Amino acid sequence: MVDDQARIAGLYHRYGPAVYRRCLRLLRNPEAASDATQEIFRKLLQDGLHDDPDVALPWMWRIATNHCLNQRRNAQRRGETELQPDLMVRAEEAPGGERRLVQRVLSRFDQKTQAIAVGVLVEGMEHEEVADVLGVSRKTVSRKLALFLLNARKYLERTSP
Amino acid sequence: MTGCPSDLKLEMHLLDPARSGVGEHVAGCQRCKDELAQMDEEGRHFYRFVYPATLEAVSAPRRRRWANWLLISLAPVAAAAAVLLAVRTQPPSDYSGTKGGGLHLEPFVATASGPRAVSDGEAIPAASALRFRVRSSAACTLWIISVDGAGTVSRLYPPQGPSGASIRGEVTTPGGVRLDGKAGPERFFAVCARNDPGFARVEEAARVVAGGGASVVRKTGALPGLSPETAQSSVLVEKAP
Repeated sequence: MVDDQARIAGLYHRYGPAVYRRCLRLLRNPEAASDATQEIFRKLLQDGLHDDPDVALPWMWRIATNHCLNQRRNAQRRGETELQPDLMVRAEEAPGGERRLVQRVLSRFDQKTQAIAVGVLVEGMEHEEVADVLGVSRKTVSRKLALFLLNARKYLERTSP
Repeated sequence: MTGCPSDLKLEMHLLDPARSGVGEHVAGCQRCKDELAQMDEEGRHFYRFVYPATLEAVSAPRRRRWANWLLISLAPVAAAAAVLLAVRTQPPSDYSGTKGGGLHLEPFVATASGPRAVSDGEAIPAASALRFRVRSSAACTLWIISVDGAGTVSRLYPPQGPSGASIRGEVTTPGGVRLDGKAGPERFFAVCARNDPGFARVEEAARVVAGGGASVVRKTGALPGLSPETAQSSVLVEKAP
């Protein structure tokens, strides 16, 4: 048990900052990011966390992304405001209009589409990289992204004064 | 798009620069260097505050379902025990670490069997992880700062920002701290005032104590020079090697 706990502490020490930063970027709230990191890591450890960063990092990135986007969506449904500020973005990387589009309509889409939209439009990831991280085909990324943009614009046209 | 690597690739670079495949780009890109510096800063925050406060919960073995049912059935007993423990861990009436009244600082140390309240003057392992609970009878702005026998002043809560944290009633501060592993005394000061004195003022007072060395740290229960309306509470720990 002691050896196991030492291994867990080692993995948490190694990968914890990456998960924390991911949550901080998506939740924009240090306390929420801290709590989310703890929850995500417990899940990761329960499922069996790999030591190899090539395997572990993309996997935990996906789990963290889904977890945090889910938290944002739940917070919005409950009308809580502390988890709804703009996503922390590297501003110049994505076309401004599309990035703003993501901010406004994100919570209306399913979890996978949210993750794809954030990855490509907010964080400037290549389609192939998003596909690798999320475990879907590149074609799925392109298709869901196109649908996201189409439906998001339609939604904004309907709701614009 | 600028051609800069994604956050995920930068994370990989932080973990293993030799294998990340983006080292050449990063070396010549100021924007990526800035991004990595910010990530590094966030990582330091994680190690200082998040890791010590959450490690125990992360590494604790997951309870089986029957154990959860057992816990639910024992909840009333546990609640009664918690009340008794809270009463038992109140400071003695002659406790010298309180000034101004209405404020009480209670550190908790992480142990193998769970968090435990630390008594004033208690010896604890020098690299212990601590969290803090503060009770204030009035709304005020809180700072927690520590001074050790070597003269080191550490800002603990809030960890960043120009203003103290607004509190009222009982608050367990988010995150926690890990002690530096060096033997000797360390005193934790909670300072709470209706008008925020600002961190610079609190730090200045702490440095006066720090300048006196270990014996002054042990003897000084309140930071000097703060306004009389400022409520204070402090707890001394002896870091044991």
